[in-house]
Order: sequence, then C-alpha cells, then structure tokens
Amino acid sequence: MSEPAIKVTELSYRYRGEKHSALDSITLTVERGEFLVVMGASEAGKSTLAACMNGLIPHFHKGRLRGDVVVLGRNTREYKVAQMAEVVGLVFQDFEAQLFSTNVELEVAFGPENFAVEREEIKRRIDESLAYVGLEAFRHRPPSTLSGGQKQKLAIASVLAMHPQVLVMDEPTTDLDPISKLGIFQITNQLRKRNDITLIVVEHETEEVLHADRIALIQDGRLVKIGDVRAILQEVDLLESLGVMPLGIPRFFKAMGYEELPLTPDEGVQAFQAEGWRLDDQAHQDLVVADQAAIAAHTEPIIQCRGLEHTYPNGVKALHGIDMDIMAGDMVAIVGQNGSGKTTLAKHFNALLFPTAGEVLVHGRPTKEQGVFKIGQKIGYVFQNPDHQIFSDTVFDEVAFSPRLRKLPEDQIKQRVSEALAAVGLTGMEEEDPFSLTKSGRQRVAVASVLAARPEVLILDEPTTGLDYAEQRGLMDMVKQLNEKGSTIIFVTHHMWVVAEYAQKVYVIKDGKVFLHGTTREVFAHEQELMEASLRPPHFVQFSNRLGKTILTPDEMLRCIHTGA
Amino acid sequence: MDAELYLDYNTVIHRLDPRTKILLFVYSFIVVVLYEHPPWLLPIALLVLLHTAAARSWRNLWRIRVLLLILTVWSLILWNFFASGETHLFWVIDKESLLFSVARTILLLVMIISGVNLISTTRNEELVLGMIRLGLPYRVGFAISTALRLVPTTAASLQTIAQAQRSRGLDLDSGNILERMRKYIPLLIPVFITTIRSTNIFGMALESKGFGAREDRTFYLQLHSGIVDRILLIGGGLFVLVSLYLNFRGYGDIPGLTRF
Repeated sequence: MSEPAIKVTELSYRYRGEKHSALDSITLTVERGEFLVVMGASEAGKSTLAACMNGLIPHFHKGRLRGDVVVLGRNTREYKVAQMAEVVGLVFQDFEAQLFSTNVELEVAFGPENFAVEREEIKRRIDESLAYVGLEAFRHRPPSTLSGGQKQKLAIASVLAMHPQVLVMDEPTTDLDPISKLGIFQITNQLRKRNDITLIVVEHETEEVLHADRIALIQDGRLVKIGDVRAILQEVDLLESLGVMPLGIPRFFKAMGYEELPLTPDEGVQAFQAEGWRLDDQAHQDLVVADQAAIAAHTEPIIQCRGLEHTYPNGVKALHGIDMDIMAGDMVAIVGQNGSGKTTLAKHFNALLFPTAGEVLVHGRPTKEQGVFKIGQKIGYVFQNPDHQIFSDTVFDEVAFSPRLRKLPEDQIKQRVSEALAAVGLTGMEEEDPFSLTKSGRQRVAVASVLAARPEVLILDEPTTGLDYAEQRGLMDMVKQLNEKGSTIIFVTHHMWVVAEYAQKVYVIKDGKVFLHGTTREVFAHEQELMEASLRPPHFVQFSNRLGKTILTPDEMLRCIHTGA
Repeated sequence: MDAELYLDYNTVIHRLDPRTKILLFVYSFIVVVLYEHPPWLLPIALLVLLHTAAARSWRNLWRIRVLLLILTVWSLILWNFFASGETHLFWVIDKESLLFSVARTILLLVMIISGVNLISTTRNEELVLGMIRLGLPYRVGFAISTALRLVPTTAASLQTIAQAQRSRGLDLDSGNILERMRKYIPLLIPVFITTIRSTNIFGMALESKGFGAREDRTFYLQLHSGIVDRILLIGGGLFVLVSLYLNFRGYGDIPGLTRF
C-alpha cells in the first residue's frame, strides 16, 4: 500500500508550434495525503504540469509528450480526461469560465451526474461539499451572483463532490482579495488534514503556502528544487532569482545576519524580542514625517468626488456617497474586497460611468459636461485584462491607435509611440505581434497604448494580477518612474505588498463607501478595520505592527532598528 | 454586466414542466406557418402574447426591442418582393402582397417571442433535461444549451471591451455606416479572442468534471408534470389539430396572391 499518489517520470512536453519545451524531464513523486505547492515564474511550466495530472495533457492540448504521469495507478496516456476525473479533480484560476450551471446546487451535481451517481447520493454530496466550503446558504443562487471568492469556493465544492483522491488547483486565488484568498487556503488547510486526499496547488502567494508539506520550484520547465516548505522559504535569494516573492520577514532577518530564519509574524516577533532589539522612535517619526511631506507637496486637485453615488440600471447600488480628492502627482492605491465598488469608482474618473447622484470633477469641471472622449486625453485607463483591448497586428499599431484616433500628424505619432514604448521597456518591439507576447508583455503594451495619449493621470485596474513577482516589480517600478516624472497614478489592486511598497495614499473601499483613507502607513496601522474590509497587510507589516510601529518594508526597518549593541 | 436570459421569477409558466414548455414552443411554430392571411394569425399571436404576459418575459422582449423593430420594418418591406397580387397599390406593393408581408412579419415575431418565452422561463439544465426526456441525445441537448450560454457571456465581454476601447478614444457613435463598421474591428477581435479563450477553459473544465465519462448518466434535477401541464398540452394539441384541419380545408389563404 505504499504506492505513491502521483509518480512523474522524466516528463517532457512541448506544445505544438512552440520552439521550446514547456516541461523538461521532470521527475517527482507525491505521497498519498501530501500537500505539494508548485511555484515559479510565469511561463515556467506550472500550469502545464497541473494539466498533465489529469490527462488534459496529452488528450486535450496538442503537443509532444515524453515520459509518464501515473496517478493512483492510472497512466494518463491510457485514460481519457473524463476517466481521470474520477480520481483527480482540477480547479482552474479563471472562476468565471469554469462555472456553467444556473444555480449552485446544479453546479455541484454536474460531476457526480457524469459518473451516474444515484440521485440520493448526489443530494448528500451537494450538502457535504457546500458545507465543506461554507456555501450552504447559497445553494439556490445563480453562480453569477456570487463574489469572486465564493465562485472559487463553488468551483472547489463542485470538484470535491466527485470525491477525488487527488485535488489539483491551478492558481486558485490569483484574482481574489486577501480575505477570500485566506478563505480558499483555510479550505486547503482543512483538506490537508485529511489523509484521503492529496493536494497539489500552483501558487504565487508565498504567504499562503506555509501550511504545505513541500514546495517544488520550477524554472523554464525544469524542476530546480523540491523540499520541505520551511527549508525552501528560507532560501530568500533563490526564490527571488526564480521570480517567486520571498517573504519579508526572512528577508529582513537574513539582512540582519541570521541563519535559521523566522518565517511568520509570530516567529519574527519572538526572534526580535529574544535579541532584545528595539525600534527607534526618532527614525520611525522621520518616516511618518516624510510620508506626510510627500503628500502635502501635492496641492492641485485633479479628480474630486463629491457625494458620488452610482446605481446600475438593474437597480444595484454600487457606490454610496464617495468623497475623495486626488491631487496632481499622487500615487494612490484603491483597495477593497471583490465587489466592493473599486472598479465602478475608478470608471467614474475617466467618465466611462457617470454619477447617478453627486458629482465627479476633473480639473474642477463635472465629468458629465466633458465626456469620455475629451477626458480620455487627460485620464488614461488601463483595463485589468490586456486581451480586452489588444487587436492590432503589430505593437506599433496598437500603441498608435489612440494618437491616430485623435488625428495627430504621422511624425508626432511616431514620436509618441517610441516615447511610450521606452517608458514600458519595449523599445525595439515595434514590429512584434502583440498576441505572441507573454501576459506581462501584453500588459506593458496596454499601458504603452494608454501612455501614447500622454495622459496626466494613469488609472491601472489590477495591473499586477496574473503576473509573477519579478514581472509585478518590473511593472510597478515602471509605474513609479512615471509618477516621479509627474504623472498622477491611481491603481486598483488586491496585492497588499504592492500597496505597501508603492502607494503614497490609500483609499479602502467597503460596500461602496470610503472606509479608511490616509497615507499607506496610517492605513496599514489599522489591521482590525482592514480585516473588516476583507483586507490584510502583508506579513511583514503585521510583524512590525506587533512590534508597535507600522513599517512597510524590510529596508525601512533596517533604518529604524536598534540592536542595543 | 447583467446579461442572463433566464428571468428568475416564480410564475405559472416558470413552474411548468420544461417538456411542456418545449412542446408549446414547437406547437406555436407548427400553427404559425400554416396561414398566410393576417386575421388567421391573430389568435395565435394573441396566445403567444398571453404566454409572455403570464411568464413576465416582457423584460427580455424590451431588451431586444431594437432588433424586433428593425426586423419588423425590413420584413414588412422585403416580403413584397417575393409576392404579388391583383390590386396594385404603389411601388412594388400590392394589396395582397402587403397582407402577406404583414402575415410573415407576424410569423417572424411569433417565432422570436415564443423562443424568448421559452428561454426566459426555463433554466439551461431544465431545457437540456426536457429535450433529453423528449428523446434528444444528451450531447445534442448539451450543445444547444452551451450555445445559449455563450450569448450572455459574450455580451458581457463585449461590454467591457467597448469600455476599454472608448477610454482609448474610440467613438462608436459617429460616422457613416462604412466608418462605423471599421470602428467595430477593435471590438470584434478582442471579443473573438476572449470568447475562444474562455470556451477553451470551459471545455477543459467540462472534461475535468467527467463529461462523457460513461454512456449513462444520472440527473439531479427532477421533472414534475402536473395537471396544468396536461391541460396546456391537450388544449394546445387540440389547437394544432384544428389549425391543421382548417388549413387542409383551404382556409387562411390570401385570394389572388402569387408567391415567387
């Protein structure tokens, strides 16, 4: 009975029409009941590996497979996906596309129905699975009315109802707010404690993987390292070089010359106190003063909301009276739970939506008087999914789209395109086909195409979603540079570390209202309130809060620390 | 944003067995093609509108009002080219061909409204199950319902994409027809791409949940057929029979009409 749950031997795979292998001789064994996390940069082959587990590779995708994947004695070459589904459940990142039923119950029933499970048993499994993920109260609701986190929980329930022995989740939390993420990980954690289920989770978020047994690190389709979670998370430099975000706490302790690195806020606080270290009041006060000074330097209002309300035509009221002032030169983060109204709010800034009560002023004039075409020249909006706007054959044409619509002369268009491409680091890519770029490449093209209109304000809706750590940093560094050159930046995000490291000002939106706002440091000091808004500061900030002072990055802490020596 | 076709009300019609609803839909198609003289179609149109009222599916008709209006105008004109009569009125229009155009327009509207009634009151799964219980293979029923499901998701992504392009300065509301068609290219390509992408994930999710794993499958949903179903089916059936008989006897034609 010691047969492993999953045995992968010399697995290589190349998608049809690609030059490089997506997977390159991977060999690994996962024991029954184990919880393995797969991490790595974008395009490293994580999703490909996940798709190999239930036979989507080689049966659904086209390409060349070498080596073998055997799951509970079933070789994926010999079993169809639908047959593998009896033992392997797969949850996808995109929770919209994987749900297709008209109510929650039927969504869960679909899997068991395919295996001709008796109706009474299906009913029992619906109850059981919905209770497991905490969606009992929603059983008659259409999935489209659920929040993002609930949708992903439903996707998990619908797979659990098939009673899989192996559950594979491909970046299940990418599009979720921090507390919804936590909800998904609580479910994974519950599952981990069961011996009858083996878990494989592809994940970007380092903080969430602490409960796993092992981590496999993948780069360019190769298995770089596999090992115990604690051992891997201590390898701060290795993680960073692979495009995986290292935890802030071990990063800090490593800089302090530690060897056995604490990982969690608890461990961090213990180690900190055991060393007898202190945080310097004056140094911390300097940080606070610097924050205030940065904001006070911006005095010219660009976007002002006055009692802004918005009710959609179907009667849903998304915004309940928002007041805010965005000043020229600000770098502002708008955060909040899935469905809190962040995106609805942001769409008012460039007149895509108009207030149903109250008003939004741009340069002191109501957006209603100006309209999206005119405001679009001053306020650029980058949508969350670059694939919602890219349509040209070349990067040049895509970026030139906006200036051409505004009928600029050809030499000016050329100049604007090359400026915009330089700003996003894509100089020289003019003739490339945008569709052949990676997600982060397409995201950059999307930003460039908005920059080409030379807006004063740049709004980015979840710019870092779906990118790996290195790409997220690259993109945000670029945005920060734009801000330093004078652009006003507003970004909507779920990534709290991005807020901690890049925002000057934060607005927390909850139920269509401004729930908290202030400098990033002020907002992150209110952990309890953030929790109520389904948000949570990064581990490192939690760690500093426990030490009595809100400190946003390891570098800041290094400046504030007193070792007593 | 809110593009679902199914309207979640609890009306008499919603509570009907999906098989009944599908058969009533089929009935309306049969009877409406029988006659070419407008007065004969009016009772049918009236019944279908009564169905709409009982089902409260006005909302979906209101949503497609522009489409209905365009179709009505075109149909009223176009059918005159395919028929002629003895009493010339003006241009290509004769009295007989005009009556015929009106009848064909009613037919078109009845078919659309009947279809809207069906999908506004029947959940996707009920529709599939109804079709299967009526003898269609599962895969065929599932394919039809999948096609229906694409409508709201595509409409939703079209909306987002239109917003994305408008914020880049695309003005969809001005220019002549040719210019406007060109302007839709920036919308259509991303719509195709995102639709293909999400259909792909949908396909993977289906297989990963064991779609088609076995020959047989069970259904969690149960169909209940009650007294109202029986009354409607029998009443509707009689209506069809009488209509067939009257048509057979030659009623409902337009005298002097020549169709090409």
